[in-house]
Amino acid sequence: MPPIHFDWPEVQRVAAAFRLAMPRSPVGGRLGERLGSGTGSSLEFQDYRQYTLGDDLRHVDWSAYARSEVLAVRLYREEVAPRIDLVLDVSRSMTVTEDKGRAYGELCALLSCACASTEADSRVVTAAAGEAQLLERPEQIERFLSCDARLSALEEPHLPLRRRSLRVVVSDFLFPHDADVLVGRLARDGASLALIQLTLPEEADPSVEGGRRMQDVEGHGEFDLVIDERAVRDYRERFGRLRLGLARAARRAGASFYHVLAGTPLRQTAKALAAAGILESL
Amino acid sequence: MIFTTPLGLLALLAIPAIVAIHLFRRRFPPRSVAGLFLWQVVQQKPQGGGKITKLPVTASLILECLAALALALILGGARFTPGSVNDHLVILVDDSASMAAVNAQNQSPRDRAAQRIMDEVERFGRGVRVTLIQSGEHPAVLAGPAALVIEMRPALEKWKPQAQHHSLALSLRLARELAGKTGRILVFSDESPEFELEGVQWIAVGEPLGNVGIIAAQRSLSANAGKGTISLTLGNSSGKETKRQLRLLADGKDLLSQEITVPPKVSSMNLPIPAGLPPVTVTLSNDALQRDNEVILVEPRPQIVSVDNRLMKGRGRDALDRGLRSIAGITRSEQAQLVFGPAELLDHPPEPGTWRVGFGRAPARLLSPGNPQDLIGPFIPEKRHPLLLGTTLAGVVWAGALPIDLSAVHPVLSSGNQPLIGMLGSRPDDGILFNLDLDQTNLPRTPDWPILLSNIVELRRQNLPGPERWNYRAGEWIRVRLGHDPKGPLRFQCGSITRDLPPARVVEFTAPAPCLLEVLEGDQIAFQLGVNFLDEIESDLSDRVRGEFGRSNPRAGGVLTEGGPEADPLFWSLLAVAGFAMFANWCWALPATGASG
Repeated sequence: MPPIHFDWPEVQRVAAAFRLAMPRSPVGGRLGERLGSGTGSSLEFQDYRQYTLGDDLRHVDWSAYARSEVLAVRLYREEVAPRIDLVLDVSRSMTVTEDKGRAYGELCALLSCACASTEADSRVVTAAAGEAQLLERPEQIERFLSCDARLSALEEPHLPLRRRSLRVVVSDFLFPHDADVLVGRLARDGASLALIQLTLPEEADPSVEGGRRMQDVEGHGEFDLVIDERAVRDYRERFGRLRLGLARAARRAGASFYHVLAGTPLRQTAKALAAAGILESL
Repeated sequence: MIFTTPLGLLALLAIPAIVAIHLFRRRFPPRSVAGLFLWQVVQQKPQGGGKITKLPVTASLILECLAALALALILGGARFTPGSVNDHLVILVDDSASMAAVNAQNQSPRDRAAQRIMDEVERFGRGVRVTLIQSGEHPAVLAGPAALVIEMRPALEKWKPQAQHHSLALSLRLARELAGKTGRILVFSDESPEFELEGVQWIAVGEPLGNVGIIAAQRSLSANAGKGTISLTLGNSSGKETKRQLRLLADGKDLLSQEITVPPKVSSMNLPIPAGLPPVTVTLSNDALQRDNEVILVEPRPQIVSVDNRLMKGRGRDALDRGLRSIAGITRSEQAQLVFGPAELLDHPPEPGTWRVGFGRAPARLLSPGNPQDLIGPFIPEKRHPLLLGTTLAGVVWAGALPIDLSAVHPVLSSGNQPLIGMLGSRPDDGILFNLDLDQTNLPRTPDWPILLSNIVELRRQNLPGPERWNYRAGEWIRVRLGHDPKGPLRFQCGSITRDLPPARVVEFTAPAPCLLEVLEGDQIAFQLGVNFLDEIESDLSDRVRGEFGRSNPRAGGVLTEGGPEADPLFWSLLAVAGFAMFANWCWALPATGASG
């Protein structure tokens, strides 16, 4: 596979204004800067409860004791650093053309920068086997963009996803699948799930080309096809069903879904992702 | 590399066919896609055919051509080596009947020969090739040439010697031809070789045995007395008087059964029987050789020739009468089959079935200018003509010989350019001319006169319908004159042997084997003939020997035999190549039709 080239400075400029959007529901994780689901030591008040032996006297609400002569303790939300699992499809289909490869690289770089801005425990999942790889710096994302696998990790029955992690999945989803099963599997035990489908414009909306020897980029077959009106119509219909299925499944699972067309300016893409609730402005 | 079935190389035509298929195959520009499954349609009608583009040398093309080449070579019978060299035994077995003579242990030379042949075959091993020849007047190859032992064995088991005595020279020549430089010749006989044979191992498996056999038999009929006679000649090779039981059967009934004493060597006996009996079977009790213990004899039908003397009264007519009276088997009749008369008789058209013999002045159309001459020789006979058999014409004064046109007659006897006895056509029934004044010549007073007349009568008798004889030896030539055009298909039946005969007035064939032979005209039996073994040499078992003579050719190179394809490594190599090419083409080179993203 040819190496993916993209404009890092441009990506960093765009990404500087965004970070991954956190879900409204509290997320679990190590001690950090984001509010967690349990009680902790943040400044944000959560609740009162009756004083019991051993409670920190600093948390006793003396004002309330004065009013009601009942010892009550103030509870504050915990602050956590969220876990982010960035699931990348590194099958050959993601670099079927140079444009798609470049768009994929830019998107992944944007997301890695967003992860870094989120100050989260970010890991990259590209295969079912082995542990998720730690993403300490955004530039490390390039290590994962080899895109020479004959099978997408999403087709594997099990992925090394962490519990209560924020999951961001980038793929073209151009493989036979049951959207509900796939999305359900990705969303299980996760804090949130965002599906980003990246395709070429001609993959989403092909045109009549005439006779072609259709060769699967991952080597799973080939056949002759005359790409005529009818073939294009059939393809569009199938692709539409695939995308709609993913969107519906995402909605049912409480996940976000957004379809990105390769060639779209990155800034425009980032804004769209923010609008879709996957990124948020800083 | 050689090819055992070069026609199989026609399969090489598959290679250009494969190339053509690849050349004309419809090829679209390739397009890499991510979601091939989204493009799959149930069925799409092809638009247009293929077009010629540069031949893509693909793995599929190479593998398909490789498989076709390997399969074509297999079909062509490609071999690294032409085959293996095996010992070749050319075995000649003596088929004479004496090989079937059994001793007291009921063992025959045939049994010993068969056992020895199998021993020799085993000695040479499993791969030996055998050519089995049966001797005879017409040698036959029973197995082979160069047959496998498994093919030879049933032929050897079926071999039952029963032929008349014959020379092995012809069979040996065939054996040498079949052996060439590759084979070892083994001869199995019950006699020793007549002379030393180079390159031939002669194995005599005989045994001196006493035997009594019928070596000659005849059945005659005395028409006047109304009696018949069977004359037997018996050969006794035991060297002493021997008793045997003699039986005569006719139509399943015993005519005679008596014990006879057969003296040593050759003896004869006459047995009177009634006239008019059907074929009579004469048997002797069993001994070493069965085949010479039985004969079947058919009563001869007398063939009477009717003659008529139409000569003018005189010395000549009297002399002719006297001569005819001395000949048996004739009768006088005006509607005669043989007419003697003046030569003018020959000028008239012949009556059907009548032969004419003319004496005296020939018809004018046959004469040349000149005066009659009296000749005392030298006479020039056509020596092999049946009319002149036994004649010498010594002291004959041929009187009144007129000049005859040489182109008008076929001379049988001449003196200078003067035909003295001639035939008016190619056959005797066209007329026989005696250019002779019978009243003047002294021929009737010489011994040649009755011989000449007898020859004429016998010649006529031989042309009467029926066989020349009624009893024959096996292998003898039989000639049967029907006397009319066949009314149906002609054939003869001799035991289990049936053969078709050509549809002719005269049929000839050899007597195949001892039997009561029937000549059939359609479904009707025209004639019955007795065919018997009657072989004095085969019946004499006293001089049979056992031993080995000579050596087979030690430099025999063996015969080159083709093994099966499994014996050649090239076959397996080609099979492996073809199998690999097809498997690889199927698994790797052919485009798959799966789908993935």
